[in-house]
Amino acid sequence: MLELILQALFSGVLQGGSYALIALGLALVFGTMKVINLAHGELVLLAAYIAYTVESSLGVNPVFAIPLALLIVCAAAVLVYFLVDLIRQDRELNSLLLTYGIAIILTNAIQLIWSADIRSTGSAWFQEPVVIGPLYSMRSELVFFVVSLALMTGLWWWLSRSWYGRAVRAVSSQRDAAKLMGVNPRKTELVSFIVASILASFAGVALFSYGVIQPSYGHVLTVKAFIITVLAGMGSIPGVLVGALLLGVTEALTVTLASSALQELAGMCLFLLVLFVMPNGLFGAAGRRG
Amino acid sequence: MKTNASIWVLLLVAYGAIPLTLGSNHYVMSLLVAALVIGGIALAWALLGNLGGMVSFGHSAFFGVGAYVSALLTLKAGTPIVIAMLLGGVGALLASLVMLPVLRLRGPYFALAILAYAHIFKIIATEWTAVTGGSAGLSSIPRFPTAFGFDFSGKVGSYLIILSVVLIFALCYRLIRASDYGIALRAMHDSEDATRVIGVNSVLLKALMLFVSAFMTGVIGAFNAHYINFLEPDYAFNGLWVTLPIVAAIFGGYRTILGPLIGAVTVYLIDQLVFKSLIPYGHQLILGALLVAMILFSPSGLVPLLRASVRRNHAAG
Repeated sequence: MLELILQALFSGVLQGGSYALIALGLALVFGTMKVINLAHGELVLLAAYIAYTVESSLGVNPVFAIPLALLIVCAAAVLVYFLVDLIRQDRELNSLLLTYGIAIILTNAIQLIWSADIRSTGSAWFQEPVVIGPLYSMRSELVFFVVSLALMTGLWWWLSRSWYGRAVRAVSSQRDAAKLMGVNPRKTELVSFIVASILASFAGVALFSYGVIQPSYGHVLTVKAFIITVLAGMGSIPGVLVGALLLGVTEALTVTLASSALQELAGMCLFLLVLFVMPNGLFGAAGRRG
Repeated sequence: MKTNASIWVLLLVAYGAIPLTLGSNHYVMSLLVAALVIGGIALAWALLGNLGGMVSFGHSAFFGVGAYVSALLTLKAGTPIVIAMLLGGVGALLASLVMLPVLRLRGPYFALAILAYAHIFKIIATEWTAVTGGSAGLSSIPRFPTAFGFDFSGKVGSYLIILSVVLIFALCYRLIRASDYGIALRAMHDSEDATRVIGVNSVLLKALMLFVSAFMTGVIGAFNAHYINFLEPDYAFNGLWVTLPIVAAIFGGYRTILGPLIGAVTVYLIDQLVFKSLIPYGHQLILGALLVAMILFSPSGLVPLLRASVRRNHAAG
């Protein structure tokens, strides 16, 4: 039993890596634009399907799909940005409806192009087991966990050291003050969208290489990313990582101890529990309460 | 005066002309019933958005809960259908109680929390096999009975029931909007902080609007269950039960009462008759595009737009 639980914890942590990448993208865009991109999960899924196409048509490892995924997903995200930017009145409410509409378009476009069948990788190299002591994982899980840690370190470095990263943080915390300091907020918003879609591309390829994908999964991913940002408290990067690991572990434990059908229910209960007990999240600053 | 007269004409057409002329055409009547179901949800959705200032992506949860509660009550406890439908609404209202902590949060949290929340009930309905029949679903749910010598289980009968339900809800919406609560809610829309300062409990008012909206959606869900006599989780909690009403409400204008209804009939009929024949699988893609286009080019919907152009014509003439 103990071994099973340890294994669940391990798998959950590995899964948490990709979850963190998705949630960070959502949180970045919310920070600069105060817009929740409800199509974010669909962008991740788009990257996953590009990985599937590259693998099945060229017969290569899905990793080689990353450049193409980056290109297409970034282009799609830039398009989303310009559409959101066109909204003139009541942006908070209308941006939700707009990105919801884009999510519907993407889900159905994915279904039209790739059909509703469930897809998974055929790469033998990725599916090979890696055994560390009593713990077991697929090679792809381990590889992409390391990749997501590297990306998160890169993101942390970018946000704290580079000019644009600082601009993103400045616009997130005080838009008007940032403007006075010579930061162009619209350019910064666009940059945050692009960085979010870079993270989404890697997460999408990761999801395809160790899991199964289907067109309706994008919606689930958006919900998961949101649950993580609530767990974390908006605007906290270490919080997002902890929230993502927490969600991954909760799901893995539910699958091991109860049933895989209850996986989403467990995440939701965790979410409601945090909302009831700590409405500002585990690491968030005060002030979300109205 | 003029609007009153046109409403009476519309009522006469809806209750008299349509059942008499189209009543024998089963296909058209079933399209109309479905359009009114969507219209009912769109109305409830718009009430929450317009009066409560909240966007919901989870109304499919209330629809499904209402359907299941009413179906189970009539099947297992033998409750009369009318009472079961009302209790279906109550069930949906109870389901909305879980959303209360989210109402205190600012910003987009409500919209996202309810989006996440809608999944829960589908999972419960699928997994709780002993009560809900699981993914196999519930069949032979009782039909509407014969009353006053008229068989309400047929297409025309069902049409008259859903038409009346939707019109009663529209009337309730109107009464709420005109009441003191409505005035407070409209003030809240301008500045929630200022409204709270003068002593309006804004969280309570928002909660009440959520309850009303959930109840209405639950009753519509219950109607649909007795109308089609069959339920399964994938159908009852399908995302379409919220996507179509949102597109309909935005299309017609969600700040008006009739907008969502007119939008629902228009959008649903166009979707079924045109879009579906263009793209049989994935015609929702066009609905998504329609939603995006409406938000970008005419976010207040077509009804206010038409009204404005009529007024302009009057001014010109």
